[in-house]
Amino acid sequence: MRAFRATRSGEVVARLDPAEAGIVGLLLDQLEQLLAADADDVAGDPVMARLLPEGHRGDPELAADYRELTETSLRSGKTDDLAVVRATLPEDGGEIRLDRDQAGAWLRSSNDLRLALGTRLDVTEDTEPPAEIADEQDQQLAVYYWLTSLQGSLVDALAAGRGGRS
Amino acid sequence: MEEHSDLDRPWVTVVWNDPVNLMNYVTFVLQELFGYDEPTATTLMLQVHHEGKAIVSSGPRERMEHDTSRLHAYGLWASYQRDS
Repeated sequence: MRAFRATRSGEVVARLDPAEAGIVGLLLDQLEQLLAADADDVAGDPVMARLLPEGHRGDPELAADYRELTETSLRSGKTDDLAVVRATLPEDGGEIRLDRDQAGAWLRSSNDLRLALGTRLDVTEDTEPPAEIADEQDQQLAVYYWLTSLQGSLVDALAAGRGGRS
Repeated sequence: MEEHSDLDRPWVTVVWNDPVNLMNYVTFVLQELFGYDEPTATTLMLQVHHEGKAIVSSGPRERMEHDTSRLHAYGLWASYQRDS
């Protein structure tokens, strides 16, 4: 991977290896399935609870109002972002070049992927990157930290672009 | 003296600490959504990080619902409530 950086033209660019692009593609598939699932089928799923959290804590009526008001548009927003990421992801690896709107979609989607993985893996503030890859859990954790560095570089590139610097 | 009733208290949007969202991401999102300058957004982010939560906006209930949903679109852990 070559991390995201801002270009003078206001775009952000990065480069993914074929294996990395493949992993992102798989994670997008999983997220897409989850977002498309019937609400009843994913009720109680901790990842869904994190992606679409309660709007009000402590008042079930207000929380239900909020969900009714916002859930459909939040879901479709996430699905739209995901489609943008898919359309701009080089399937076999290569350069990612994003304008401002596309970068916004990558920012939100990569965060959703990290939230999903982090929730499944029970990541806490004390979690550390795996020292070695001994099992599936280590593997997933390594992916999580890889996504963290990708997203972190995207934030920095966009913040640099916003400051008028390149 | 007039009693300060429940209805007079404004609503607020709260961002809660969570172990996944990156510090630079939270700062970026607060700037993006609320137009805070970088020092203000950074102060709020650090408050979330160290104290577990921070109030990021206040106003009528409908607007706080809207702000909460905009934060949820970015995956921040947010909720709205009456100011306490």
